[in-house]
Amino acid sequence: MQKNVVLSKVKMEAIKFDNVYFSYDDEEKESEDTLFSNNANFALRGVNLTVEEGEFVAILGHNGSGKSTLARLTNGLLSPNSGKITVFGMDATDEKRLFDIRKQVGIVFQNPDNQTVASIVEDDIAFGPENIGVEREEIGRRIDFALSAVGMEKFRHATPARLSGGQKQRIAIAGVLALKPRVMILDESTAMLDPRGRREVMDVVLRLNREENITVILITHFPEEALLADRAVVMHQGQIVMQGRPEEVFQKNEQLKRYALSMPHSIGICRYLSQAGLPVADSMDAETVASNILSAMEKVTPSNLKIPQMQGAGTRSLRFTVDNTAENGRVYCENLAYVYNVKSPFATHALKGVDLEIRAGEFFGIIGHTGSGKSTFVQHLNALLKVPTAEKKYKEKKIKKGQPIPPKTVLRVNGYDLTDKTTDFAELRSKVGMVFQYPEYQLFAETVFEDVAFGLKNFRPDVSDAEVRQAVCDALTTVGLPYELVKDRSPFELSGGQKRRVAIAGVIVTKPEILVLDEPAAGLDPRGKEEIMTLLHNIHSDWCKTVIIVSHDMDEIAQNCTRAAIFSDGKVLAVAEPKTLFADENALAEKGLDVPFTAKLTTALARKGVVINSDFTLENFVQKMVEYVKMKGAGTRLTSEGGENA
Amino acid sequence: MREVSFGQYYPANSFVHKCDPRAKILFLIGYIVAIFLAKNFYALGACAGLFLVVVMFSGVPFGAILRSVKAVLFLLIFMTVLNLFFYEGETVLWKFITVEAVYYTIFLAVRLFLLVMGSSLLTLTTTPVSLADGIESLLSPLKIIRFPVHELALIMSIALRFIPILTDETGRIMNAQKARGADFETGGLMQRVKAIVPILIPLLISAFRRADELGDAMDARCYSGSKVRTKYKKLTFGWRDVFVLLAVAGLFAGVILLRIYTQALI
Repeated sequence: MQKNVVLSKVKMEAIKFDNVYFSYDDEEKESEDTLFSNNANFALRGVNLTVEEGEFVAILGHNGSGKSTLARLTNGLLSPNSGKITVFGMDATDEKRLFDIRKQVGIVFQNPDNQTVASIVEDDIAFGPENIGVEREEIGRRIDFALSAVGMEKFRHATPARLSGGQKQRIAIAGVLALKPRVMILDESTAMLDPRGRREVMDVVLRLNREENITVILITHFPEEALLADRAVVMHQGQIVMQGRPEEVFQKNEQLKRYALSMPHSIGICRYLSQAGLPVADSMDAETVASNILSAMEKVTPSNLKIPQMQGAGTRSLRFTVDNTAENGRVYCENLAYVYNVKSPFATHALKGVDLEIRAGEFFGIIGHTGSGKSTFVQHLNALLKVPTAEKKYKEKKIKKGQPIPPKTVLRVNGYDLTDKTTDFAELRSKVGMVFQYPEYQLFAETVFEDVAFGLKNFRPDVSDAEVRQAVCDALTTVGLPYELVKDRSPFELSGGQKRRVAIAGVIVTKPEILVLDEPAAGLDPRGKEEIMTLLHNIHSDWCKTVIIVSHDMDEIAQNCTRAAIFSDGKVLAVAEPKTLFADENALAEKGLDVPFTAKLTTALARKGVVINSDFTLENFVQKMVEYVKMKGAGTRLTSEGGENA
Repeated sequence: MREVSFGQYYPANSFVHKCDPRAKILFLIGYIVAIFLAKNFYALGACAGLFLVVVMFSGVPFGAILRSVKAVLFLLIFMTVLNLFFYEGETVLWKFITVEAVYYTIFLAVRLFLLVMGSSLLTLTTTPVSLADGIESLLSPLKIIRFPVHELALIMSIALRFIPILTDETGRIMNAQKARGADFETGGLMQRVKAIVPILIPLLISAFRRADELGDAMDARCYSGSKVRTKYKKLTFGWRDVFVLLAVAGLFAGVILLRIYTQALI
């Protein structure tokens, strides 16, 4: 302990940015004068930042705010147009010291697949030390150290391709650690991971920061991760606009909104309740928030409480007309099983008898961690994976052997029988749209118009030009892109969020009755996520009958879906409204799944004797909580003061 | 799609698996040369004999090796038929097929079989990674003439690493375009070539993006391709490898002796 105190006193400056400007436009580099006369394209404009050794700094900001540029400048992958960057006293622009700086500052990037050079874990970790000429025996020791630091000792001889996203990212961290850096930058390293992988990576990062005293700069979109840091820095348009303790930064809701960020749900609830007149101290931990609520309840006069104005409330109505009988827009599935690589030693039973009904008109959620079979299931819905047609033969064989007959598979989607070989699969696909994960990566055409029209022309080769134009125009307008402005542009020059919209337009252009989306909001910043979800509700209300989303984000499911199914180990574990689904936190935790914060808080409150019956959306929870306090207050007052109406 | 098994490595822990990849590569080279030097069935028999001994010590079931020959079966049949009809001999067996042609065809077929099976035994018992390591090490003397051995090895390593990733990606893009009504299975040649465009372009773009990101990640890990670079993995030549090389040398000597003292078939 004492040693720690001494260390903290002589904290050294690890990284210092002194009035740094940076632009990606090369022409502007020519002279300083033109540089400052035209500062429209600056990725960084006058950044001042000091990070102390051993500190854990989280950098937040919407896409394009300059976060990644900051990371790349720090270890000399980019060099600034003006201003000074020092790393442990070394000038980051000094070419001769480039490798000294890179040894000190390691970066872990976003995509876990694009950081490994070798097909065997230990070879990959050795890559860094090999580059700087470390002796063989020492490399071996460093691999031992790096693997144990990320808890992957068992995978020393494994192949990265076979690992999960979280494991791959831990290997990437190990690869950086083998260079013995004093600073580690994580550039959205958790963005592509599922919740389980994110937790794995964050555990490792926290341990490195606390036990190895490694300075951490974490670039992230997830407020929960930023809350773990010592300091949060918010960037906007190439400048640092806010910084301070994460809890403090997240309290400034108005400011955050201006920078396209949002509060984490935990703080949001505390804030709203405080606005309602119940002063709940901010915290991100459900247990603490619950006790804070209880202690706040004792202090207030319940009748003074009123339900506050909430930003999300009312903008999105969850009123859907669910049609129980219609075949159009309905998915009905019984005993669906699927095996990858049948007859090979790698055979994987991805689906082991799925029973599920999705009614026409629903906004349906599918939850489950990676490998639970949810992606395999949705690929059946438009016959990208086909129901095994060999079933008949298989059955005859079983009958001959006197074994029990496997139950019949039923799969009806939008009125089409998918177990029937004669079904028109092309027609089915035009009625059941499928948006894959990161759909922007499937764009290919020269113009946005051509790309969006692709599907329509495939399904209806005889369609007239006028019709195509009208359909493309409608689709682009629906996804919120101005038709005239974007139609002739190349899809590749659009921003990430816009590309995703174009890709979605390319699917809904055939006016499908069912739209399936695999992780539609993956990798977007908070505002992008919000916009995509609003967009999906628009599509749902006046375009497609049924919308099915696959998601890891429990808050997303709770806030948006009418019902949801949990997939686990190739089976459907439960189908219900989010309200019922998330009520049993423990059952979900067993399957490695998270619950929304509101559900955690409800459980914590219930343990303390406060029973709130909300549908787990943030707004509804706050409303129910306020009503509860009022009712409770009215009750106690009745006995003590005698006769005040609630 | 899920478990893309690249190459045909057959995991086992046998004598052959444990050998140094360099020894195995040299063995294969020696073995191939010996097969080409073999001029009659005696010599070919010696090759086949050694091959069978290696198979016995490899822990790979014979069926797995035979399966690897399936790919060249068509070529084999084609060649056999051609030879049967066009090889000129004296003793006529039936119509214009001669006895010599039959002998010769059998000889060729056995030779080809031994060649293909030998090479596939190497890939069955050696992972692509250690094969690449072996090639790098064998080529390292070329550094003297400034041949970029290390770069070549790195390219091989990265290629091996990205094959499963890009295979997966191709599958994903294909599915996405199929969902948009693309048809890759029907139509004439031109139509099919055209149908590939919506796969090829996203795949290329993705490959470039990945290359870019990989480049940054390599830079960040101090890659410079400089001479100070050390190597963690060191291949070690053990008694097994000496033994293997002696065996192939023996075969070599045997085949040459047979070439001198027995009559050549061809």
